[in-house]
Order: sequence, then structure tokens, then C-alpha cells
Amino acid sequence: MGGKTFMRGIGRYPFLYLLALPGVLFVFLFSYVPMYGILIAFKEFNIRKGVLGSPWVGFSNFEFFFTTDKLLLVLRNTVFLNLLFIAATTCCAVLLALLLNEIRVKWFKRTAQSLIFLPYFMSWVVIGMLVQSFLGGMHPTVDGWLESLGIAPLNWYYEAHLWPWILTLIRVWQGAGYMSIIFLAAVTSFPDEIYEAARIDGASRFQMMRRITVPLLVPTISILTILAIGKIFNGDFAMIYAIVGDNSMLYPTTDVIDTYVFRSMRVLNDFGMAAAVGLFQSVMGFIFVVAVNALVKRYSQDSALF
Amino acid sequence: MIATKSDRMMTVFSWGLITLFAAFCLIPFLLMVSGSLTDEQILINEGYRLLPKGLNFEAYRILLQSGALLRSYGITLFITATGTVLGLLVSASLAYSIANRRNRLRHAISFYVYFTMLFNGGMVPFYILISNWLKLSDTLAALILPLAVQPFLVFLMVSFFRTVPEELEEAGRIDGAGEVRIFVQLVLPISKPILATVGLFYALIYWNDWFMGILFLSEENKFPLQMILRRMVSNLEAAKNLIPSGAGIALQAPTYQIRMATTLVTIGPIVVLYPVLQRYFVKGLTIGSVKG
Repeated sequence: MGGKTFMRGIGRYPFLYLLALPGVLFVFLFSYVPMYGILIAFKEFNIRKGVLGSPWVGFSNFEFFFTTDKLLLVLRNTVFLNLLFIAATTCCAVLLALLLNEIRVKWFKRTAQSLIFLPYFMSWVVIGMLVQSFLGGMHPTVDGWLESLGIAPLNWYYEAHLWPWILTLIRVWQGAGYMSIIFLAAVTSFPDEIYEAARIDGASRFQMMRRITVPLLVPTISILTILAIGKIFNGDFAMIYAIVGDNSMLYPTTDVIDTYVFRSMRVLNDFGMAAAVGLFQSVMGFIFVVAVNALVKRYSQDSALF
Repeated sequence: MIATKSDRMMTVFSWGLITLFAAFCLIPFLLMVSGSLTDEQILINEGYRLLPKGLNFEAYRILLQSGALLRSYGITLFITATGTVLGLLVSASLAYSIANRRNRLRHAISFYVYFTMLFNGGMVPFYILISNWLKLSDTLAALILPLAVQPFLVFLMVSFFRTVPEELEEAGRIDGAGEVRIFVQLVLPISKPILATVGLFYALIYWNDWFMGILFLSEENKFPLQMILRRMVSNLEAAKNLIPSGAGIALQAPTYQIRMATTLVTIGPIVVLYPVLQRYFVKGLTIGSVKG
């Protein structure tokens, strides 16, 4: 396509390009302009001097983060928590979808779906409020339950080692139902003929689930997992900060890159360092998502993202 | 069809596990509703319970008179309404343009939008952009504009617009309709389901967002609901801010009760609209639509 035909194309359908313009501008302003702000990571940023006016400091903003054990801690927490979330939510969601698919009674299936999907619509602040109400306070509700089971009550907000599991449980509560509905939608799209044929061959429902439904689900599972793994360096700020907040007792296991960046910026006012950590995260995340995608492309073209 | 023993076990197993998980999902909501209706003294002594001991509407009585809560409700409604309309308009236009084969830049624009899902400048430059360059701190615009184009939702719509048969546009063109009329009078009307789905996604994003609030809002009289709730989480005493001075409260303000009542009021519209929300969400969740 030469430049001339190209211009004629635009001239012929100006409306099409006009339609894209507002969206393109929004994306430019809120996504691309901040990319220019990455320069802050290499500067001793001073708000009054601005991005260009602040003096260059090379990599010294990175030095601090890389030379303390902070980096290792927040990096480990971010990746570990995300792996836990991905594994737990995906497993629960697949299981839920498979079981929901086995249920033939309409009203039960519909009610169950409504209930397990509902938590997905709650904001993390609402969830944070619930968690704090039931695990915190003078007499945590959950402690009352444990006591009636004969288990010694805990002071939850002092037990950092428990929080990766608590957060995972919250994540499953919030997201597994949502994900199961994606899987269920995929399952219902599988052709009936395959199941018909299996039934004629005398397959039980469990065999059909294992030999037909699960293998057919693998591409969907892998797409969603790759999507999630691509974001493994992105801590879920909204979730973690809404639930853990400024509870420094829990930082050893719950402080992720994003909460660390937020604190460096808003509490310590160290914009340069916060930007450096953010840039490190963006670059790692980018490399990761591209690498994972290339890997997937090699064995299954259909499951790759791009 | 004869049910074998294995098939029957499968049914029992499915019902059992699904019931368990559904109960697990429901319990926090029950605790919340019950807590909002329980007398403060009982909450202090015994914590939240699945069923309330007696009914006490004190918290709701206070919230109904609370000007602070009412204002914040209005703010959230305004943000949600404005944001949804803006997001839908901008995203639908962008998506239609990307989906259209006659757009020669469609691959370039598509990649331009998609790239932002892979790489971003991070929190710090974004913060400086909004607060220092655009000077939007403590304005509601800071809570609306940055969320108006969600790449994921744009691509959801792109994949829908791609399924619109080209013959439809062709027919419109033969009848002498211009590009604008084809989009507005032919394509948009048959796109109602996807517009509804994406609109609900946007509404939910705006209703539930608090990240923009925590970054850019410091004036309490501009707090949306989520920020009011957020402040209550970080500060137990904050529930008292919602109590109007003339409400005639005894020495002990029902803090624990108000916290649950406010949470319930915050999620109220979502629960009320839930049947609609659910129907459209399930429709919109076709996988593969994420691909650019």
C-alpha cells in the first residue's frame, strides 16, 4: 500500500478515523504520556523543577532498591502471592465449572451460579471491611467459630505467616466463581456429538468429564493462566492495600512491589526511587509476558495471545 | 438413560461441593446483614453472628439522617453515570473503527491500544501527570477521565463488531446512507447487548473504584462511597463522622453496627441490579475476545 492510496483511504472514510480519535487521545494522555515520565527514575526528581529540569542521577535511584534486601522481599512476595492466587483460583474454578456442568436441575444450577458469582462484584474496599470485621476487633467472629471447634483463637493481625493463605482464600472467594463461569461458557460450547458418541460407547459421566471435557478445556485454561502469569510481577495493589493497608506487622509476607511503590511515593515522598522500582516492574512484566507468549506459540498457536 | 452407580455418585458429589462453595460465598454477606441489624452492645461482646439477636435499626436510622453519607452517595452516582456514558461513547467508537476493514490504520491502532496492556509507565509518572501536569487533584475529573478507556473492554467490543455482517453496511451504503448513519442507525441498534454488557462493566468499575480516590482526593467532602468505607477500615472511629450532630446518640455510638450498615448501603445497588448484571456479564464473557 503506497502513501497515496493510503491517504485516499482516509479521504474516503474520514468518519472512521474521526471515531477512533477520542479513544486514541485518551490512551495517549493516560497511558503513553506517563511512559515519558519514566525519565523520573533516572533523576533526582523535584516537583518544582519538573521532569526535564530535575538533575540526572543515572542509576542511583535503582542502587538503593537493589542493594537492600527490600527488593528480594517484595519481589518474592509479589511472585509467590500471584502464583498462589493463580493456582488456587484456576483449580477451584475448573472444578466448579465441571461440577456445575453435571447438575441438571435448573433452579439449583441457576441459584448456585448466582451465589458464587456475586463476590466478584464487590470492591476490594468492601472486602477489606468484611475481612477486618471478621478477623479483627476485640472478639473476632472467626475466633468464636474456632473456639467452638476447640481451636485456640489467634491474633490474626500479628500472624504474618498466615496471610498468604488468608489472602489466597479471599481471592478464591472473590474470583473463583467468576472464572468458573468463563469455563462453564466454554464447556457448553463443546459439540454435543462427541458426548453422544461417548454415551453410545457406554462411557460414564465421570469418564466423559475426564476424557472429553477436561482436554477440551485445556486451551481456555492455558489462555487464562498465561494472561495471569504475564501479570505475575504486578502486585494487586487494590486488593492488598484494601485488606492489609498500613499494617506494618504484615509487611514481611504481604508487601508487594505495588504497595511498596505507593508507600515510597506517598509516605516517603521519594519519587525517584518509587519510579525506579515501578520501571523495574514494568520492564520485568513486559519481558515476561512476551516470553511466556512466545513459549506458548511454539506448542499451541491457538492459545497464544498475540 | 439408565443412571449407573458411578453417575449417581457424581451427582451427589456435584450437589454437595457446589452447595458448600455457595455457602462459603454467601456467609460474609449474611454476617454483614445480620451485623447491621444487631445492637451495638451485643456486637461488642459477641462479635458478628450469622443471624441477628433481635432487630435493631439504629444504624440505618442514623445513616438516613447522615448528610455526609447522602452527599457521598450522590458523588458516587455522578461519577458512575458520567464515567459510564463517557467510557461507552469513547470505547464503542474506537472499537468500531478498529473492527472496520475499511480502516487502513486498524492494525496500527489496535496495537497502539493493546501495547498499553503490556507495558505502562507505572504509578509515579501517572500520579505526576494527573496531579502536577493536569492539576486534577481533588477534582472528580481525576476519578473519571483516567478510567474511561479500558483496553480489555475495547477489544471485547471489537470482537463483537467484527461479527456484524458486512452485507448490512453494504446494504446501507447502496441505500445511500453515509458512514455516520450506518454506524448510528444500523450498527448501534443491533449492538445493544454488547453495549449493555460493556456499559455495566464500566458502571461497576466506576462504582467500585477507590484507587483514583486514594491517589488524588484529600478533601473529605468529595469522597465517594468507597473512600468513606476505606476511611472506616483504616480508622475505627471514622464511623462516627457519619453521625449527624443532632441525631441524639447515647454515649456509645454504634460503630460496629454502622460499619456493616454502610457497607450494605454501598453494595446495595449492585445487589439490586444483580440479576441484570449477571445476565449481561455471562453474555459478555466469551473467551478469545481478549485477543486484539
